[in-house]
Amino acid sequence: MKAPAPSVSPKPPIVTWATVFLLLAAATAGGFLLDHHISLTSQAMLYVLVVVIASYTLSLLPSVLCALGAVTAFNFFFVPPRWTFEVANQEHLIALFTMLLVALVISHLTAGLRRKTDLARLNEMRARQLQELATNLASASSTDEVSVLGQEALDAAFDGPNSVALLQSNESLGFGPDLESSVKDGLQSCMREAAVLGPGTGRWPGLNAWYLPLGTKGQMNGAVCIQNVSAADTVGREHAQALCALLAQTLWRIKLSSAMMASQAETQRQQVQSTFLAAISHDLRTPLAAVVGAASSLQTQRNKLSAAEQDRLLGSIVSEASYLSTVTENTLQLVQLTNASQKLKRDWESMEEIVGAVLARMRLRDPSHRIKSKVPNALPLIQADPVLLAQLIGNLLDNALKYSSDAIELVVSATSDEMQVSIKDRGEAIPVEMHKGIFEPYSRNDQSGQRGAGLGLALCRAIATSHGGSLTLRRRSGGGNSFTFAMPIDPMQPTGDPL
Amino acid sequence: MSLRVLVVEDDREIRAMMQSSLSVEGFEVQTAVSVSEASALLRHSLPDVIVLDLGLPDGDGIELVHEIRKHHSMPILVVSARHQEVQKIQLLDAGADDYLTKPFSVSELLARIRVALRHRGTALAAAVTVHELEDLRVDLTLRVVQSRGETLHLTPTEFKLLARLVRSAGRVVTHRQLLTDVWGPEFTEHTHYLRLYMGQLRAKIERDPAEPRHLLTETGVGYRLATV
Repeated sequence: MKAPAPSVSPKPPIVTWATVFLLLAAATAGGFLLDHHISLTSQAMLYVLVVVIASYTLSLLPSVLCALGAVTAFNFFFVPPRWTFEVANQEHLIALFTMLLVALVISHLTAGLRRKTDLARLNEMRARQLQELATNLASASSTDEVSVLGQEALDAAFDGPNSVALLQSNESLGFGPDLESSVKDGLQSCMREAAVLGPGTGRWPGLNAWYLPLGTKGQMNGAVCIQNVSAADTVGREHAQALCALLAQTLWRIKLSSAMMASQAETQRQQVQSTFLAAISHDLRTPLAAVVGAASSLQTQRNKLSAAEQDRLLGSIVSEASYLSTVTENTLQLVQLTNASQKLKRDWESMEEIVGAVLARMRLRDPSHRIKSKVPNALPLIQADPVLLAQLIGNLLDNALKYSSDAIELVVSATSDEMQVSIKDRGEAIPVEMHKGIFEPYSRNDQSGQRGAGLGLALCRAIATSHGGSLTLRRRSGGGNSFTFAMPIDPMQPTGDPL
Repeated sequence: MSLRVLVVEDDREIRAMMQSSLSVEGFEVQTAVSVSEASALLRHSLPDVIVLDLGLPDGDGIELVHEIRKHHSMPILVVSARHQEVQKIQLLDAGADDYLTKPFSVSELLARIRVALRHRGTALAAAVTVHELEDLRVDLTLRVVQSRGETLHLTPTEFKLLARLVRSAGRVVTHRQLLTDVWGPEFTEHTHYLRLYMGQLRAKIERDPAEPRHLLTETGVGYRLATV
């Protein structure tokens, strides 16, 4: 075991022997100083005192030697005849033996006490380590993090070398570089057997390392190797097992949550797919039928049709086809936006420009200038994908043109941290109970009998959300609807121009 | 002699549609279905304008644009679908003159070709120095910009930016081209300069900056100075 606390770290030999020598010298000096004032028994007591001190602070061997030294010194310096090793009186011999015995007993007792203290301290430290590891693991979100934390915990608890090997996504163990092949084999076997191997475990006791599995059979996440261990260190092995149990738990949690995320993504993908299918059946089939009908009629009956009828059919082909194009565009864009891996292409953009470009396009369908725009000067720039924002504003204006016949207001405003674009119409107010569902794909307010822009509003909301913003609908007082797109303004506005 | 158009398009229907509608308008139409066929045709005779579809079977045409631009200045019109935004901008940066997004109407196609050809005429007859449309008049030689009869005071950068657009009047100029020509090649990523200076220019030139008549935005691509 690695020494867990500084108090038990062994003193260097030189310090130990110096301590013994100094203690004996002190007792001898004390004995001489008080030679004429105290009896031989008291002088003996001085030696007993240092023996007690030595046995309490030093390990067994130095304290026994200290006791022997004390007996020898006492005999040599103080027991008559002085300055010889002879013992004149039987009484003194008993004193000497007693002193030796006292030294041994005290030394033994303190050693036991110290062992217990050390063990208690070690256990406390291990309990604390387990607790800390559990806390750290709770916030770990990747297997790499777990691997690092596990390695740190093992290195703190065992002299090692220690190695952590985790099961990779390709079902093979990921080893660190320069790992011995015997360790690799051990880790593999440990995983296979899902049991602790090594000294004291009854399995592969001949090894000098413990191999511990991370996980149980069927839920295996990897294995751990702790080298240079002894069979007798049951407590150490139990601690290692406790650490590994924590690691295994966390790895399992991470595996489960990533599986959950994958299945969520899969569900979302399926939803998008079914939305797409709904788009095809709901919004593509009807206009396609109209195009095919009109075109085939022109192809086969052209001679029987009047010029006006031919024009009507041609007009319907063009308008139905461009409607198809819009629906396709919206659907594809929505699918793309729902795909989480698709990153937005954001850059510094001017809302004035985006609105201007949309209006230029809209005016073709708005010859009577029903759309009135209010855009303040000197708007802050926004971080946005301009094509998507143009699509959002265009879809909303399209709807407003379609579902209302009066003036439409397009109002842009900005506070210190938010840009807002509102599109307000005087059309029939959408019932409040439909305000939520209207942004879902295919739950259009169909009361007008007109066809909507397919996934228009669903796409608009997806665009708003992807810009960290929102799209909301409320009824206008005095009739009509107001759609408001809001998105955050980056407080760090770009400036600086070298010219 | 009628003007010659080379249509490079791999889709049979669209190719046939363009061929017939351009022929009706009096163009002499050549067609190619791939980049290699187009290069082969170009070695024999030069058209007056090229309509180049993106996503051809043997490449996206950027090599072709580079190759043509080494020797020739005839207008190149790029036809792209929505999802080909990135390639489209690459081709415009490489020297293509304008673009059309699928689906487009025949009238859009003809209008774009007319603008491109008009530019070709002026490009051959020295550089454009005067631009006039409705209330706006820009004289590059005299460095005078007038709006509604009044002379405007532009900062040097504003003037440089406007002048760059005047030189390509009617055609789209990409963000990258503008940044390179006005600020320098090391500023091609600083699109916010464009947003800020275009905003200032519009405030000075346009009656309603929010609905510009002259300085048009090609969302996500660049800007265009209106000529019609």
